[in-house]
Amino acid sequence: MKVPSQFCGATMEDSCSPASQNHNGQLAGGANVSIANNKHQGGSDNGSNGDAKDQRPQYSMPGILHFIQHEWARFELERSQWELDRAEFQARIAFLQGERKGQENLKNDLVRRIKMLEYALKQERARYHKLKYGTDLIMQGDIKPPLYEEDTTCNISESGGGVGGSAGSGGGSGGGGGDGEASFTSVSNVSWRQGRQLLRQYLQEIGYTDTIIDVRSNRVRSLLGLNNNTDTEEMNTPALNGNEGVQDKQEYNESLVRRGKQQHPPKKQQPSSIAEAMILDTEAAVIANFEFLGHTDMDMEEEEGDVEDEIYDANTDTKPNKTSMPLLGEDVDTDAEAEEVLNELNLLTEIEESPPGSIYLEKNSHSKWNAIDMHRELQLDPRHSNKEGDSTLELGELEQLCVNNDAEISYDIVSTTKETFRKTWNAKYTLRSHFDAVRALVFHPTDPVLITASDDHTLKLWNLHKTVPAKKSASLDVEPLYTFRSHTGPVLCLAMCSAGNRCYSGGLDGNIHCWTLPSANIDPYDSYEPSVLSHTLTGHTNAVWGLSMYHLRATMLSFSADGTVKLWAPQATQPLLNTYVSEQDGIPTSVDFIRDEPHKLVVAYEGACVVFDTETGAIVARLEANETKGVNRVVAHPTLPLVVAAHEDRHIRFYDHRSATLAHAMVAHLDAVTSLAVDPHGLYLLSGSHDCSIRLWNMDNKTCVQEITAHRKKFDESILDVAFHPSRPFIASAGADALAKVFV
Amino acid sequence: MADGPTILRRNRPGTKAEDFSRWPDEPFEEMDSTLAVQQYIQQMIRRDPSNIDLILNMPEANDEGVWKYEHLRQFCMELNGLAVRLQEECHPETCTQMTATEQISIKESSVAKLGSVCRRVYRIFSHAYFHHRTIFDEFENETFLCRRFTSFVTKYNLMSKDNLIVPIMEGDGATESEA
Repeated sequence: MKVPSQFCGATMEDSCSPASQNHNGQLAGGANVSIANNKHQGGSDNGSNGDAKDQRPQYSMPGILHFIQHEWARFELERSQWELDRAEFQARIAFLQGERKGQENLKNDLVRRIKMLEYALKQERARYHKLKYGTDLIMQGDIKPPLYEEDTTCNISESGGGVGGSAGSGGGSGGGGGDGEASFTSVSNVSWRQGRQLLRQYLQEIGYTDTIIDVRSNRVRSLLGLNNNTDTEEMNTPALNGNEGVQDKQEYNESLVRRGKQQHPPKKQQPSSIAEAMILDTEAAVIANFEFLGHTDMDMEEEEGDVEDEIYDANTDTKPNKTSMPLLGEDVDTDAEAEEVLNELNLLTEIEESPPGSIYLEKNSHSKWNAIDMHRELQLDPRHSNKEGDSTLELGELEQLCVNNDAEISYDIVSTTKETFRKTWNAKYTLRSHFDAVRALVFHPTDPVLITASDDHTLKLWNLHKTVPAKKSASLDVEPLYTFRSHTGPVLCLAMCSAGNRCYSGGLDGNIHCWTLPSANIDPYDSYEPSVLSHTLTGHTNAVWGLSMYHLRATMLSFSADGTVKLWAPQATQPLLNTYVSEQDGIPTSVDFIRDEPHKLVVAYEGACVVFDTETGAIVARLEANETKGVNRVVAHPTLPLVVAAHEDRHIRFYDHRSATLAHAMVAHLDAVTSLAVDPHGLYLLSGSHDCSIRLWNMDNKTCVQEITAHRKKFDESILDVAFHPSRPFIASAGADALAKVFV
Repeated sequence: MADGPTILRRNRPGTKAEDFSRWPDEPFEEMDSTLAVQQYIQQMIRRDPSNIDLILNMPEANDEGVWKYEHLRQFCMELNGLAVRLQEECHPETCTQMTATEQISIKESSVAKLGSVCRRVYRIFSHAYFHHRTIFDEFENETFLCRRFTSFVTKYNLMSKDNLIVPIMEGDGATESEA
């Protein structure tokens, strides 16, 4: 960058005389006497009143001026360059500081866990001693539970949320920082967040485009991926369980007993205090944590490849391990546990692969050794206590609690690293109890629960945490928890209310049934509960083919083969609010609220999509391309003025509903596109087609991110519906082959 | 449903109830789907639910296990119609000897277990016949399901004749009153 001044000066001198002419020519109009002088003397060489400088022909005044100006400009340039460098370094510093902070948090967490574990161990020994010798063991160490940082406390207080919402919690701690979306509670996090903000500012200032793109893509992933934990936590009211806190635990225990998984006579031993619960909680988490750690340790050398594979391997491998630990293996809800282990695994594998991994690894392996030692010790201890048959129930509780906690810790690191590695969706759950084509599916707003509707006239409720042992290795089977029966023909469409306690189904019989969801932990073989069907919306005179909810106002749209679209307030005494008809277009084929302007709705017809005003029922706009034909599904973007339509002619078309123009059209599948879903943040589009595949599209550049062949054909139908979970990283597809599949 | 030269057997959104799945029959030989047997059975039922012999007539080159299995699945599926009607009337309080749970307890199972599944399914028919006769008749008139089921289990010897207590097939006319 720096040019030697001598050389520069020489250049200046060489170019001096011709440049001076030029220069003066430009400045000629000015009132600068000296310059005028200069010209006169430099040019004609008369030299009557010049000073000493002017005598030397190689240093003309304009030349010098020019040189100075040039030098000045050069220095300025350099200065700005330095500024730029400085800013870059500052950004780097901030970044590294942030990283350090994150690692400190991780360390603190692990230390805390170790403390907890030590304490739990002491307690356990004391108890064992007491039971064996009948006297209290004199503890030399401190018997008080170690102190907790504020985030732990907050987490525990929230942990009563219930079994259903287990994995989705843990907004409390989290140094990793989910890109400012997450609401942090602890003070340290606030400063961390500020640091991050600052960092981003710097990056923007210096136009660090690569990094910004990276941040953005991270964000995209985090939005799609696990980062939703925080939101979930906040919304995770015990809607499905209806119980809280201790009461809930009790029920959970009871259900454990009922399922007969218990080998020991249950003792109702509730934790005596929050503190104890907390310790137990941590203990269990740590047990799972450490066991897994020991495991990866062994596997580490050979596994560099696919993260997902690794997860599955480890997961299956861990199971036999579990049984070797009698305490956990027998009493604990296995799927929750498996998920937990999975989480831990994710977390660690990703740490190992993360770019600034060297430090992580070191810390990690360090704590690993501790962990393994601890684990061995622990393994001895529970065996003893197990003989007494006590503390089994505690672990049941632990399990329930520790999932929360686990989510919390994984959140720390995972949010920054995990999404980077989450690139593909893989089939995880297969829902196979329907007898005929599954026409529609809808997810619970917060829980890992979904409902499917089928041509076999029924709806089924599924809890993804209640899996049955998989017959094949890769995916888990889920048994339906409840079958909703009332339709007398195929059930064609579904919608779910925002609280997740009601759902609506439309059928070929022309009815819209409103259902009150039973608990997600209901016994599948419980007797018939008539209150599940709350009421029926009648008004359509032919098959009801589509429903769409607008959660904020609790209104719902339905459309029917009778040619009408109806707006309902399903819970009101007068549920029917409005009816929309377009005479020229005939029978609608899909409907959705326009999300960015909720006083409008879009209805798909054979030839065009029509935008109605919900209040007046007037047609506001028509969205049609030249050869638009056969719309199968229309969905509105959650934030943009964008309407996406899936067509029978294999196209997906994007319309700007405000200008009523076609924004983009693409051949998206090999056969008719049947279904669409936009992820809750509007970044991805999911499409399903009769070509048996579902495809995930980047909303930004309309490129296909992933294609999954998911279902088989029945007659000429294959995939009939697709959906995103509103707050968890699940996608699902429904097929004419009577299956529904959930991908993670 | 057929648009253009090729027939697409699809129920597109907006299809009227009366046109649902109303497409030209596809010959069984041309069905290349893995769900061909189910497609074929449903196609036959749709054509004429009362023509039990035709429905139960297995096409050539088919695995009998699959055939029986798919038929049983179809029975369970159609039984929903009866369950919906019964659920308003038949409760543990009113019908103590049979709880509602068994109506939904049929899972996919191996062919060897079809017999026990059949007994359970038949129990629903017999309960409905003897305790909810009006509902049973109404349902039977629409679907001919009990007849079909009785023919089915008789044909494939899935239940012993002594257990077939609903007097519906006897002599094909003796108890034809409800048809």
